[in-house]
Amino acid sequence: MNRDVLVNLNYLLVALLLIGASLIVMHFESPERLIQGEWVEKEWRLEKDNISASSDLQLQVGLKKEILRNVEDLHLGIWKFYEDGTLQSETSEQDSEIEWFIKGRGHVLELRKAGKQIESFQIQQISRDRLVLHLNFDLQVKGIIEIVLERKEQSNQYAKKV
Amino acid sequence: MLRKYSNHRTQSDNVKLGALTAFSAGMVNVASVTVFFAFTSNITGYYAVLAQEISKGNWYQGAVVLLWVLLFFIGSFLSNFVIIQGKGRWSQYISHAIPVILEFLSILFVGIYLDIFYENSLKETEILVGALLFAMGLQNGLTASISNSVVKTTHLTGLTTDLAILVSMFSKRENRHNKALVDKFHLLLTIMVAYVAGGLFGGVGYLYLENGTFYLTCAILLIIALYDFYKIGRIKRIFERRNKEVVPV
Repeated sequence: MNRDVLVNLNYLLVALLLIGASLIVMHFESPERLIQGEWVEKEWRLEKDNISASSDLQLQVGLKKEILRNVEDLHLGIWKFYEDGTLQSETSEQDSEIEWFIKGRGHVLELRKAGKQIESFQIQQISRDRLVLHLNFDLQVKGIIEIVLERKEQSNQYAKKV
Repeated sequence: MLRKYSNHRTQSDNVKLGALTAFSAGMVNVASVTVFFAFTSNITGYYAVLAQEISKGNWYQGAVVLLWVLLFFIGSFLSNFVIIQGKGRWSQYISHAIPVILEFLSILFVGIYLDIFYENSLKETEILVGALLFAMGLQNGLTASISNSVVKTTHLTGLTTDLAILVSMFSKRENRHNKALVDKFHLLLTIMVAYVAGGLFGGVGYLYLENGTFYLTCAILLIIALYDFYKIGRIKRIFERRNKEVVPV
């Protein structure tokens, strides 16, 4: 093929990628929109990477309790993400308003209280009905806490079915 | 630093350009991770993230990453485009200074936007990270282009590889006295140290200066752009003085 044609194809490819990516960003729902609404906590799972297989099961249970106690403030039960950037739970008081922000490419959820960051989660999965957050904790044990949430309507429908 | 091209550049030109641009890249990178949770001076990781997001079916996030990579690409493209198209139209110094000025404007835009308009929305984050990646693309394109790919200020993977190769070359005694190899080692080491120092300065500086870190980067870029302007002026003045001495009026 002629070199000139190949060069023009290069420019065309870059332009197409640019237009395609821009259209997706403009028309697909962003994580910032998807997260708005009420979510119900379904699971809190602890995933560690430095506990050997032979570790005592009792120890693991104790450790898990200890770690989860450290992040008790984040056990919200129902997470209500409002459009104005505030996050409330069933138990939260008026003066303890938490603000939420989505950062990066839409993969980080940052929570702030009175302007100070209280936690940042890695958004592992986000869709209309499921939200999976990963929290890196700063204890002596390396690992992550996985929080699985479901959209409230979805959760209610399931409960009705049962 | 900017007025010479390719093989006409001295070791000192490359060291000065490499150190200052790597320092500013390190600062921008750490500041953007702190503010936006996104790297802006390197895109190697973004290729992996792009593939990961697409494989997970996260089209939105994948498209954002693709746009960032393309902005870095466009920055580097524009840098070299200005340099080669500017040949014969305007002075070499102007051609080389234009990408630095564009980079300066991009980073200044980010700093001003953060100070006055920023509301912490995802859209804003995506655009501002894009502007910083475009700026870093401009910088990397410029330094690589004018130095014949000797100076690459944000390409730390390649730099670490080259440094490791050089260190292994020095295991042979005769190579330790090879000026070209020793000069290259000094240059790469300077860039690496400057990049890390910039990162440290960006991290600590952000605690005290906050968005002022971006203005500080702009100040460094101004030094790079105006250094040769000052030097050219000085050389001109010396010539004029000599001419006067030779031909007294």
